[in-house]
Amino acid sequence: MDAVVVTSNLSKSYGSHEALKQVNLEVYKGEIFGYLGPNGSGKSTTIRTLLDFIRPTGGSASIFGLDSRQDSRAIRTRVGYLPGDMVLYERLTGGQVLAYSAALRGGVDWAYVDQLRDRLGAELSRPVKALSRGNRQKIGLIQAFMHRPELIIMDEPSSGLDPLLQQEFHEMVEEVKADGRTVFISSHVLPEVERLCDRVGIIRRGQLVTVEDVTTLRERALHRIEFHFGTPVSATDFEDVPGVQDIEVKSSVLTCTVMGSPDALVKAAARFEVIKVKTQEPHLEKVFLSYYGYEDTDAE
Amino acid sequence: MLNNVFLKTLWDQRHSLMWWGIGMVAISLVTMLFYPSVSNAPELNDILSDENSLMKAFIGDIEDLTSPEGFMNSQLFFLLLPMLFLGFAVTQGSSTIAGEEEKGTLDLLMSSPISRRLVLVHKWAAMLAAIIALVAATWIGLAVGVVAVDMDISLLKVAAATLSAGFLGMAFGSFALALGATTGRRVFSIAIASVVGVTAYLIIALTPAVDAIEPARYISPFHYYSGSDPITNGLHLGHVSVLLLIATLLYALATVTFERRDLGV
Repeated sequence: MDAVVVTSNLSKSYGSHEALKQVNLEVYKGEIFGYLGPNGSGKSTTIRTLLDFIRPTGGSASIFGLDSRQDSRAIRTRVGYLPGDMVLYERLTGGQVLAYSAALRGGVDWAYVDQLRDRLGAELSRPVKALSRGNRQKIGLIQAFMHRPELIIMDEPSSGLDPLLQQEFHEMVEEVKADGRTVFISSHVLPEVERLCDRVGIIRRGQLVTVEDVTTLRERALHRIEFHFGTPVSATDFEDVPGVQDIEVKSSVLTCTVMGSPDALVKAAARFEVIKVKTQEPHLEKVFLSYYGYEDTDAE
Repeated sequence: MLNNVFLKTLWDQRHSLMWWGIGMVAISLVTMLFYPSVSNAPELNDILSDENSLMKAFIGDIEDLTSPEGFMNSQLFFLLLPMLFLGFAVTQGSSTIAGEEEKGTLDLLMSSPISRRLVLVHKWAAMLAAIIALVAATWIGLAVGVVAVDMDISLLKVAAATLSAGFLGMAFGSFALALGATTGRRVFSIAIASVVGVTAYLIIALTPAVDAIEPARYISPFHYYSGSDPITNGLHLGHVSVLLLIATLLYALATVTFERRDLGV
C-alpha cells in the first residue's frame, strides 16, 4: 500500500520536555486514520510538524514522499487542514474567509464550495465574530475540503458540531475515502474514531503506543461482564481465571472485566447456577484505557 | 480585495488607516492655522536665547520660531509628527506577524501553499504602503494649511520633510516587525520598539544641551530624519538611504528568524 504520511523517529522537545518521542507512523492512501490521545498527548504537535509550523528536533516526516521541511509548500498545496483551536478572521464574513483562502490556494471550484455550504448549512454572509462555535467550525470544514485535497488533516474536527451535522461530516469523510483520497483525524472523542476510522494510532505522552485496525482493537477490547447467580459466590472463585480483572462480588452478583475472549470466565461461571448474564458492547474507550492502564503498570 | 496577503493586510487596516489619516490631516492643518499668531510675535524667540534651554529638547535646536521653517520644525516636525509616524508604524509592524500569531489566525494562513517569506514580504509591503498613505494625508493637511495661512514655503520641501518622517516610521516599523516575527509577541515588540524609539529621540533632543552625548547622535535614526533639516534643504539622499537601509536590513533579518522558528499555537 502507498504510504501518504510517513514519520520516522519524529521527535520534538521543548527544553527538557519531550512533546514527541520517536514517533513512527504510516498513513496509507485511501484510508481514514484516527489519531487518538488525550489532550496534551502530542496529537497537535505531530500535525503541526507535518505542516511545518514547528520543526522536529529529531527524525523526519514526509507526505506524498516529499520532505515536510524542504517541500512544505508543495505538500500544503495538496493538503487540507482544519486546526484544533481554529481561529478565523473575526471581521471577515465566512464567505470572505473562504475567498481569501481560495485566492491563496488557487484552483478552487466554487460550485463545490456552494455544495459544501448547502450540505453543512453554513452561514457565509455574516461576520465570523457573530457566529457560534459550530457555525465557525462549518467554515473551517469547508476550507479544509474545498480544494479536494489528496490528504485532509483534521485536528478534533467534530467539536462544536451537533449530531446531525456530525452525520453529514461523516458522509463527507466517507466520500473523500471513496475518492481514493486520505483522511487523518485526531481526536479524543473515541466513538467518532471508532465509527469513522479504518486504523487508529494511539498516542500518549508523546509516544505512539500502538497502531491497529479498529476491528482488531475491538477484539482486544475489555468487556465488562455481569453474572447473576442462583447462590452467593466468592471473589476467590474467579481470581485465577485468565484475563479476568476488577472482580467485584456482591452476594450472588459478579461484575468483572475480561480482556479478549470470555471463554475461560464463562466456563468458570458454569460451575454455578447462572440466572442472567449482562455484557456491554466493547467500547474503544475501554481499549484506550487498557493500553494506558498497562502502560502505567509497566512504568511502575 | 482579498486576493493576496498584501491586499488583505491593507483591507484589515482600512478603518484604522482612515482614522489615522483624518487625524494626521486635522493635526497638521490645525497646527498650521496657529502660524499667523506666532509669526506676529517675534518675542517668542526670546525663549531660544538661553543657550542651554531645555525647551530645545521639545522643539529642536532652531534659531527662529517665527519663520515658516522654524515654525513647522518646532511645532510639527521635531516631535509631534515623527512620534505619530513612529507610533503608527510600530503598531502596524508588531501586529504584522505577532498579531496574527497571538490571535491564532496564523495557522490557517500558513496552511495555504505560501511560504513564510512570501507572507512577510506582503505584510512588510503593506506596512510601507500604509505609511506612504499616511505621509500623503499629512502632506495634504499641511499643504491646505500653507495655502490657508498664506505661508511662504515650498510645498515640495514640506513633502520632503513629511516623507522623511515616513522613512523614519519605516525604520521603526520594520524594527517592530522584526521583533514580532522573531518572538511572536506583539506587546513585547511594541514596548521594545517604542522604548528604542523614544531613546533615539532623546539622544537627538538632548545633544544640543549635553555635549557628552554628541557623538551618540549618529547612532540615532532620528539624526537621519531631521539632521539635514529637510524642510529647509530638501531630502538628503545619504540620510534617506540610511533610514531605508535600516528598514530593509531589519526586514531581511525578520525573514531569516521567522523562517527558522516554530510558530506559536
